[in-house]
Amino acid sequence: MSAPAKHVDVLAAADDLRRRTLAGMAQPLERLIYLASTRDYNTGLYYHHGLALRFSEESACEALADCHREAFEELVDASLEQLVHELEAYLESTRVAPNDFIVAWKGLEPYRVAIPVGIDSLSSELVFSNLKVALAILEARLTARTKPGASRHPSPVQ
Amino acid sequence: MIGLVLYLLVGVGLLVILWVLARRERAPVEGCGRQFVEARQALRTLQLGLLPDNLIKRIFDREDFRYVMATSPGEIGELFLQERKRISLMWLRRVRCEIRNLMQFHLNYSRLHAKLSLLTEIRLALDFTLLLLACRALRMLLYMRGPYGAGAMVSVLTAAAGRVCASSEKSLAFLNPPALESIRRDSAGDGATI
Repeated sequence: MSAPAKHVDVLAAADDLRRRTLAGMAQPLERLIYLASTRDYNTGLYYHHGLALRFSEESACEALADCHREAFEELVDASLEQLVHELEAYLESTRVAPNDFIVAWKGLEPYRVAIPVGIDSLSSELVFSNLKVALAILEARLTARTKPGASRHPSPVQ
Repeated sequence: MIGLVLYLLVGVGLLVILWVLARRERAPVEGCGRQFVEARQALRTLQLGLLPDNLIKRIFDREDFRYVMATSPGEIGELFLQERKRISLMWLRRVRCEIRNLMQFHLNYSRLHAKLSLLTEIRLALDFTLLLLACRALRMLLYMRGPYGAGAMVSVLTAAAGRVCASSEKSLAFLNPPALESIRRDSAGDGATI
């Protein structure tokens, strides 16, 4: 496939991805985590079965990478207030007990492996730092809201 | 015996000369392609990674500070200030490092060119001096007053950095793809390919 044709294919795949799979994910944080989960840890390549069937594996990979970068850039531009809202919405969407979520995110910092490749270290550090503060704000809110909301499950992070 | 000592001394001397020559070969050649590429990288990092308005606005934005102070307990406010201070110092360190890379490039570049505008060179030297002084002053301010007590100095630094980037952009313009494209077009008539 020629370079311009491939580029058109990638754009079409990215558009398809935005209209179908990502349409239900309003928050960039949710999209970032989802798109990072489509990336192979060993190869760094993205894979989405439906998208690869409709387009090519290569185009699907590039489209996923583009959308991943896009979601990350939105997070860099987000204010702390927006980030707290996003984190709250993401927490609700996971249906995990809030305390378990806070403990896991504070301990494991899963967002650190959800960063697209080739991102400037300063931008990623800014996002990590904002997420750390947003988590602390969310934790304080949850503590203030309810005390008996503690999880019955053992803590996943020691 | 004296002859042997003399031969040994000559041998050692030759070895020393060989060692010095070998070291000189490893030193980078002034004006070599690597310097241009490194300068280009420094410029791109500054323009795309460190100086975009949205990034600077995010790091030094007072709205985040107001939000944390209005909605969260004191210890979260402290955590936020600590984190922002760390990020702003990291930003400053990176800017300073890239500015020094660009300055080094301009120093080497000016040695290679006979036709230099004195006024441009003086302006550039002043901008670099101002930038490095602003970096030092901003560092002190960030340590003493935190990220929200240094707004004016951040503006001075980014404005000066912008001017230096514009000058460097002119010096490195020949590395831009459109310039290469024009060379390619010019060479096509002669049957040469690039």
